[in-house]
Amino acid sequence: MSEPIVIENLSKYYNKFLALDKLSLKVAENDNVGLLGPNGAGKSTTLKIMCGLIRASSGTVYVDGINVSEKPEQALSRIGAIVETPEFYQFLTPEETLSYLGRLRGMRGDSLKRRIKEVIELVRLEEWIAVKIEKFSRGMKQRLALAQTLLHDPPVLVLDEPALGLDPRGVVEFREIVEEVGKEKTVFFASHQLVEVAQICNEVAIIDHGHLLAYENIAELEKKYQSLEHAYLELTGGVI
Amino acid sequence: MSELEKLRVVAGYEFLKHIRRKRLYVIFGLTLAAELAVLIGMPTLMDGYPNSVRVMAAMLSIGPSLATIGAVFFAGDAIAGEFESKTGYILFTNPIRRITLIAGKYLACCAAVILLVIFGYVIVSISLAVIYGEVPIETAKSFGLCLLFAGSVLSVTFFFSSLSKGSMGATVITLLCIMVIFPIIDSVLMMANKPHWFMLSTAGDSVATVYGGYEIFLEGVVPTGGMDGMLPFELSTPNIGLMVLAMVIYLVAGLALSFLISRRRQLA
Repeated sequence: MSEPIVIENLSKYYNKFLALDKLSLKVAENDNVGLLGPNGAGKSTTLKIMCGLIRASSGTVYVDGINVSEKPEQALSRIGAIVETPEFYQFLTPEETLSYLGRLRGMRGDSLKRRIKEVIELVRLEEWIAVKIEKFSRGMKQRLALAQTLLHDPPVLVLDEPALGLDPRGVVEFREIVEEVGKEKTVFFASHQLVEVAQICNEVAIIDHGHLLAYENIAELEKKYQSLEHAYLELTGGVI
Repeated sequence: MSELEKLRVVAGYEFLKHIRRKRLYVIFGLTLAAELAVLIGMPTLMDGYPNSVRVMAAMLSIGPSLATIGAVFFAGDAIAGEFESKTGYILFTNPIRRITLIAGKYLACCAAVILLVIFGYVIVSISLAVIYGEVPIETAKSFGLCLLFAGSVLSVTFFFSSLSKGSMGATVITLLCIMVIFPIIDSVLMMANKPHWFMLSTAGDSVATVYGGYEIFLEGVVPTGGMDGMLPFELSTPNIGLMVLAMVIYLVAGLALSFLISRRRQLA
């Protein structure tokens, strides 16, 4: 199993509601895949199962060949994730938060301090590194979330609407960062922003009602449907 | 990296969180206020301090006991808070077992409560030394029992926190249990002359009754003549060993259940 992300027949019920229906897809190494779909399509559910936050009703997710439900800690050591709109401990500073999370991942000493400085600079939070997070805006927390995602330099990034809450400049900077780091990583990226997905990803998976509708190279989809927007609307039953 | 090292990391940063929170200092203040109320109130209202140092020591044990109960306020959100405030989306995506996380949080809460209890007993010891020129040996036993009571109260709080959707719910349910429901059951059992050592509220009383049972404790609030004939039932203090056993059971069962529930709980 050489693909970093393998999803096999993944189903998830929330009581009687079927959120994912035997979803299967594989993401090749260093591919950047956008997961598109309307609200309630099953995007966040897929990512949450990948990150061990919820359990699948059936089916399996492998990260770097590791079964997430059987060995979640091993699988999570290979993932950097932003899921939904995460919150941080209000009483800690970004430096303390990243130090905490880094140490949980086995990082320590000068190398951890150096890496914290690097990622803080990358997300442009240098001036806020020693300020308690209780003073942070939504956008600043999203930047910090991206910093913690990259802290341990994971081979796989799992991002769920990561630009949510960022101001326009922040969105542009965020896309540039993910585009840059995504050259050497496998990125699985759920979003509603087609422009964002087109900029960052080379492939898209379009899902609706828990079903995989398409999984193709963006250029191929654009050829077939004129544009990514047309492809999305046509496949998800929208009106063009 | 071993789970033990991760446990140390979690406990360390969770403790840092407690140190940064105002509520810890509020409980320090309440502990001090409770002790001052006894130290100032007793001579003002009851013609001086009790003759027996043990009676006074039992009266002063209200401070550390209050600190223990107050700890519910910062343990209530230990697990529920991760789900309610969405911090779990960051914490739970790290390669660490839930059991290690919960154990680390529990240890951090214990460390914070130990600080509070030590603070309470420092006041008790200094007060007794100044007023009576001695500190009874039972104070050390009371300190140990108070720590055990704190551990069991935290375990019960963790249990409710693992079940509850919100931190406030967990805090309120725990306080209701420990301060209202358990004492009511406790009183009913006592009046019916039935065993009540297994109630957490009774076990918590051991912090004061270690100085000489309910009788010596109540001497502090009854001006003269003790409790003879005043109660329509026999006032019997349960065996300290049984009360210790009860606290150990609450501690182990509460923590084990919170581990099991947290492990199964999903962050949808």
